[in-house]
Amino acid sequence: MATSSPWLTWAFSPTISAILVTLVISLLLPVLVHSYLYRKATAQALPAFLLIGPSGAGKTSLLTLFANGTPSPTHTSQETQTATCQLPSSALASTDRYRSVNDHTHDQPQLLLIDTPGHGKLRHHALASLTPATALKGLIFVVDSAAVSSAAGLTETAEYLHDVLLVLQKKHTQSRTSKGSQGIAVLVAVNKQDLFTSLPVGLVRQRLEEEVARVRLTRSKGLLVDSGVGLTDDGEADDESNWLGQYGSKEFKFGHMEEYGVEIEVVGGNVKGEGEEKGRVDGWWGWIGENL
Amino acid sequence: MLDAFEILTTSGIVLWRRSYAPVPSSIVNSLVGDVFIEDRRPTDAQGQQQTSYRKDKYTLKWTSAKDVGVVFVAVYQSLLHLSWVDNLLTAVKALFMKEYGAELKKPHTTKLNTKHFDATFDALVRKLDTGSTRRQSEADSEGPVELTPPSSSASAGEEAVDEPPPPPQPQFKKPTVAASSRKERVENYSTDATPVPTPDTSRPSTPASHLLTAKSGHGKASRRSRKAQNTLNSAPVSSGDESPAGRPSKKTATKAKRRWDADGFAVEGEDEVLDYSAAADSQQEHADREVDVEDVNASQMGSRTGKGQFVLKDLDDEVDAILASSKQQPKPDSTEGDSGLLGSATSKLTGLFRNVVGGKTLSKADLVQPLQLMQTHLLEKNVAREAAERLCASVEADLFNQRTASFTSIDRTIRESMSKALTRILTPTSSLDLLRDVTTTTSPPNARPYVISIVGVNGVGKSTNLSKIAYFLLQNQFRVLVVAGDTFRSGAVEQLRVHVRNLSELSRREDVGKIELFEKGYGKDAATVARDAVTYATNTGKEGTGAGMLFDVVLIDTAGRRHNDTRLMSSLTKFGQLANPDKIFMVGEALVGTDSVAQARNFAREFVDTKGKLRNNGVGMDGFIISKCDTVGDMVGTLVSMVHATGIPVVFLGVGQHYGDLRGLNVGWAVDKLMK
Repeated sequence: MATSSPWLTWAFSPTISAILVTLVISLLLPVLVHSYLYRKATAQALPAFLLIGPSGAGKTSLLTLFANGTPSPTHTSQETQTATCQLPSSALASTDRYRSVNDHTHDQPQLLLIDTPGHGKLRHHALASLTPATALKGLIFVVDSAAVSSAAGLTETAEYLHDVLLVLQKKHTQSRTSKGSQGIAVLVAVNKQDLFTSLPVGLVRQRLEEEVARVRLTRSKGLLVDSGVGLTDDGEADDESNWLGQYGSKEFKFGHMEEYGVEIEVVGGNVKGEGEEKGRVDGWWGWIGENL
Repeated sequence: MLDAFEILTTSGIVLWRRSYAPVPSSIVNSLVGDVFIEDRRPTDAQGQQQTSYRKDKYTLKWTSAKDVGVVFVAVYQSLLHLSWVDNLLTAVKALFMKEYGAELKKPHTTKLNTKHFDATFDALVRKLDTGSTRRQSEADSEGPVELTPPSSSASAGEEAVDEPPPPPQPQFKKPTVAASSRKERVENYSTDATPVPTPDTSRPSTPASHLLTAKSGHGKASRRSRKAQNTLNSAPVSSGDESPAGRPSKKTATKAKRRWDADGFAVEGEDEVLDYSAAADSQQEHADREVDVEDVNASQMGSRTGKGQFVLKDLDDEVDAILASSKQQPKPDSTEGDSGLLGSATSKLTGLFRNVVGGKTLSKADLVQPLQLMQTHLLEKNVAREAAERLCASVEADLFNQRTASFTSIDRTIRESMSKALTRILTPTSSLDLLRDVTTTTSPPNARPYVISIVGVNGVGKSTNLSKIAYFLLQNQFRVLVVAGDTFRSGAVEQLRVHVRNLSELSRREDVGKIELFEKGYGKDAATVARDAVTYATNTGKEGTGAGMLFDVVLIDTAGRRHNDTRLMSSLTKFGQLANPDKIFMVGEALVGTDSVAQARNFAREFVDTKGKLRNNGVGMDGFIISKCDTVGDMVGTLVSMVHATGIPVVFLGVGQHYGDLRGLNVGWAVDKLMK
């Protein structure tokens, strides 16, 4: 059988051409295989920001405003939606802060916005996006400043904010890698400032802090939610790990979260302006630019 | 007629909307919230699921395209009965998917350029709506004739009297306004000529009268316009087949009536009206035809006027095909032609390979067997059959024609989808924070006691769980009044007396709270006992203005009752209205089997307030307490059955027979146990 295929004999013979061919194939083949397998993964991951907040706060409207320039009409979201946006020329990215003002050779950076549903049953989407070590640059917690003026709306917002901050705190304290203990920036975007019944930003901040303090107090005094009928692994009391901020303090301030790497900033604005006005979102763009 | 039509994505962005009347955005929001998220589909008497949803005075019908995540919603007044909305939804879905489907599949799509769709939609509505709508819509292109102000009004109660004058001008520019004005004018004609056998039964003149504008023409105008449009229909715009049918009937109807205007003149007095020849109106016709064709032109479905007409015909054929195919029986999935043994063997091998590697598109045949296994698994976990079937059906609907992710088998995909569905069912929309609620209610201003009542069938553990809750509240420094509302069972009051004695001893030792028993013996009416207890706890006016409430929380125990005993269940309604509790918890034991569904439903149905509306946003009760969870181990399926049947969340779990054995629900733990 070997006599019928002369090239086989040539391939096994110690000629220079055979050696060269072998070298070329063995060096090029892995490169080709790699480029084939990774042709889709060469796209660089955009910096991601997560939009989170109670139902009706205006997250999906904000997403459409940032992505398209004008807000679209929206209804209750059932699923997450992602969109790529470009920083407008009015905002300065932190990576460009040493550039000269007259330097027009670069494009404004792009970012990925992830919008999550705010309905009570669908919050697992949002909380699931928080826990893995994804490249989340920041979190935008959208608050409806008109709903916060009522007790029920304030409670709902504060409960959600408390849960989110607790997840971030646990991620920081209980992570086993250094990547997990990196801080994350949080923007509390106080939306709907154009409405007549909206509260000013300082008042919203103060009320949220008080309400979060009350929520964490009742959560700590409440029933154990382990439901583990003899199932808990760690028998020690989890009181301290479930307490947001400084353990045992009566008040809660957003500054308490800085020791867990969570920097919270509260900025107001409105997605939809009254009548023909456009929304004022410059403060939010500025924060995004700082944290890019 | 339709009030609004919206196309929105599952992430909430409205891709396209058309509104004929202002519809508040909360209507569609509540459709999304109640039907899609909370799965609270309305059922009629036989338990069949309906595909329409009612809110306020609107009825909503919908359809969805799951692969791209788009929902089509049609809103109309509940008083009307529009039978063609289902066809419209099917046709719109098919046409929209055909035009924009590829664009929607791209990632990060938040906006579509849907201008072309306006004309398509108008054409669809014109086609699918009744014949009378189509015919008379051409008449609107006549200019000044329609401008005669309404002198007599056949329809009562119009609000939009100023609507007839403006339309002719904007008609030529904005199709939207024209469509609405056309529709409104259609109403007039149908009430005008009542014996016309219009096939559409959806237009009762009186109740829906606020949709009708004032009658915009006399008989002169209407007859002339009708004649004009009859001649117009001879133009090659499609579905001219409807006009011959209508023409004789319209003529016979108009001949019967004589119209009088406000000045007392018979409207038919002028010669022009009696001239039915086409030549006299050819000028207008020509202009109108131009206008008509221009309209079609603007839709960019064709470049030449001739083409425009052809394209409308194509649309008709297309729509007919879509509707015909949707009415057909779904064909059984055609299996690939297995040619003999070799073909079947290779297909089985590739199937196995795909099963392991992933990337397989799931068809109905693939899902049947694993879903059957999943359903059996759930039944073994003590989930009621009805709930298990519904869950499996929803998982099947979700996964149908989806691709499995890489390296996940079908089994794993189904398990993940089922976990997600279970999590969504068990997670409450707003979690109950009992301490928060009690603190808010008992703090000034308007301080009053917080009333909680416990209901359930016989022997589930109401009194035991009530004392567990009392212990929990005592630990938080509240003053608790326990009310012996069970005036029927022998020993019920004594049992509670023993519990109160134990708890007061415990609270004295730990120096927390205060507890007391309120009882009126046996044989009294439970509702009046409850009301007296609340009055006693509130303690108004007894000791002057200085004394506040005596107790912060009032816990009312009730007698156990069979859920199918109507006499006993009806007394619950009276109890609910008299005692007016803040929270009503129903106790269900984890050991109960398929009876749990009927129990939950019957109990929830009883709690209506004085206006006949179910309390707590239409669900009836505020929460379930599932008792005896420590006795069932893994088989905690009762949680799912009861929540699934009513939509009421589970708030507490009873995990033992001592005072401290009360836990909140951890959804992850429950789903793990069910899927183990």
